[in-house]
Amino acid sequence: MGVIIYKEPKLENPIMVASWPGIGNIGIIAVDTLRNMLEAEELGEVEPWDFFYPKKVLIRNGELKDLEFPSSKFYFKRTGEKDLLFFIGEEQPADGGRTYAEGKKAYQMANLVLDVALKFGCRRVYTSGAAVAPIHHTARPKVWAVPNTKGLISEVKTYENTILMSEIEGRGGQGNITGLNGLLLGVARKRGIEAICVMGEIPVYLQGFPFPYPRASKSVLEVLTTALGIEIDMERIASFIERSDKDIEQLYEKFAPEIKEQLDKLKYVSYAKPTEPAPITEEDKKRILEDIDKFFKKEPKED
Amino acid sequence: MDEMQAFKVYGKRELQDSSLIVGWGEDVANLGTRVIDYLNKKLGTEEFGEIEPMDFFPLGGVPVENDIAQFPESKFYSSHEKNLVIFKSNAPRAEWYKFLNSVLDVAEHYCHVKELYAIGGMVSLSAHTAPRELLPVSNLPTMKKTLGKYDLGGDMDYETPPGQRPTLSSFLLWVARNRGIPAVSLWLPMPFYLVATEDAAACRKVVDFFDKRLSLGIDLKDLDDAVARQNEKLAEIRFSFPDVDGRIKNLESNIGLSQEDSEKLASEIEEYLKRID
Repeated sequence: MGVIIYKEPKLENPIMVASWPGIGNIGIIAVDTLRNMLEAEELGEVEPWDFFYPKKVLIRNGELKDLEFPSSKFYFKRTGEKDLLFFIGEEQPADGGRTYAEGKKAYQMANLVLDVALKFGCRRVYTSGAAVAPIHHTARPKVWAVPNTKGLISEVKTYENTILMSEIEGRGGQGNITGLNGLLLGVARKRGIEAICVMGEIPVYLQGFPFPYPRASKSVLEVLTTALGIEIDMERIASFIERSDKDIEQLYEKFAPEIKEQLDKLKYVSYAKPTEPAPITEEDKKRILEDIDKFFKKEPKED
Repeated sequence: MDEMQAFKVYGKRELQDSSLIVGWGEDVANLGTRVIDYLNKKLGTEEFGEIEPMDFFPLGGVPVENDIAQFPESKFYSSHEKNLVIFKSNAPRAEWYKFLNSVLDVAEHYCHVKELYAIGGMVSLSAHTAPRELLPVSNLPTMKKTLGKYDLGGDMDYETPPGQRPTLSSFLLWVARNRGIPAVSLWLPMPFYLVATEDAAACRKVVDFFDKRLSLGIDLKDLDDAVARQNEKLAEIRFSFPDVDGRIKNLESNIGLSQEDSEKLASEIEEYLKRID
């Protein structure tokens, strides 16, 4: 169980940006877009066989030629000031068909990623994921940010379009980040590394659909680029959003009229603590959120 | 248990350059376990070790099948006389790489295995009247060359389609190749309407190959009888049910069936075979 490093670049105060797939692939699309736009170079990879079941076999003329595993790769980019390290996991190392890693394998993977971060002198890590929220799909998704130390809160508050858990009504600053995008924060905290998870909002009614939600990825990307002090062209993700919006509208049109009517009310609801008068009453808002919550309530999962 | 050693071996094996046959419990039509149960019985093999389940199976309870509580099994058997090792197991649900390496640790260090055979069933759209064919996939060119002299099917080309995963036998072949052990998975396509019950002809085909390749000296008469009985039962159902006969005739003429017709054929044959068994 280990890491293969192809190069030994000298990096200046690097910051790591890591992501694994999750709901709507929001985080991984954001991070992979950033990596692509910056033309980051491959640095290494986590040896996959201890973590993953293979994803593809290639047989030619009756002979097994190749067995391909999900990739877990590191990349780097020199920017001149704060260099960047990327980690992109194609899958979370989860057993039994689960989407999210947990337990020993997850902890081992998190530590291997942080071993590489520390090897190159990295003292700050960003992870990225999704936040399921009662928003409408035409709204600009906010970004929920969770740091792993109190000292980072003041910095997070300066990020545009970003909220802390304590700013979400009814949460009292509490929550849970499932899988490795969350666990990495905890393991980083244990090892004395600053980390922040930035999660793009996805409408509650889209969380179960197996397609990406790039609108939230763009919000995440905006926060990451600001935090990292870099600029990228957003044209590529904008055209992705255009295509995705069409698919979502088509799906939305298939919802029953009474459901659409309820969901349309989300355009006027803000679940974050109000800073200005809302267009609907508090009572209306409570009822809408309760109805929608009831409609999308999932049965408890069996392990 | 030692972190690196997930297996138990009960006694000393005195095998050199032995062969290993592997069959999985979740195989199509249970082909792997049927062949292995047959070989174990015929050759009078002795159980000599197992892989402990805790790292590889959920163990959050037990499934019940046909009124009986099940438990994952991963056992090694051997025949000193035939210089043969057999491994029969349920497919692990986690830590596959560690599991497969444990199988090969026992095979290499305790039995000095020189080659490995994995059995695998496949679903075929052919009729049962077509001859069964054994399709080999080797992990090294030497193994492919060695098997060239046997009556095996043509060279297979295959790539895992999107949304699917490779078989455990493919993973095993890859791990064996990395350890320099020649290995082959033997794929046997079986008529889809026999998958829910069993296919005696498929079982016979695999055993016949092992008999020849490993000089096991098995008298296949009981398997010949089982194939004849299976054919008689299928002839009877064709005679009694013209719809079934028509669908099988289509398959024999390479005319594909609709999904509905295929499902009907499979369920009618399953029902009939279970009733008369």
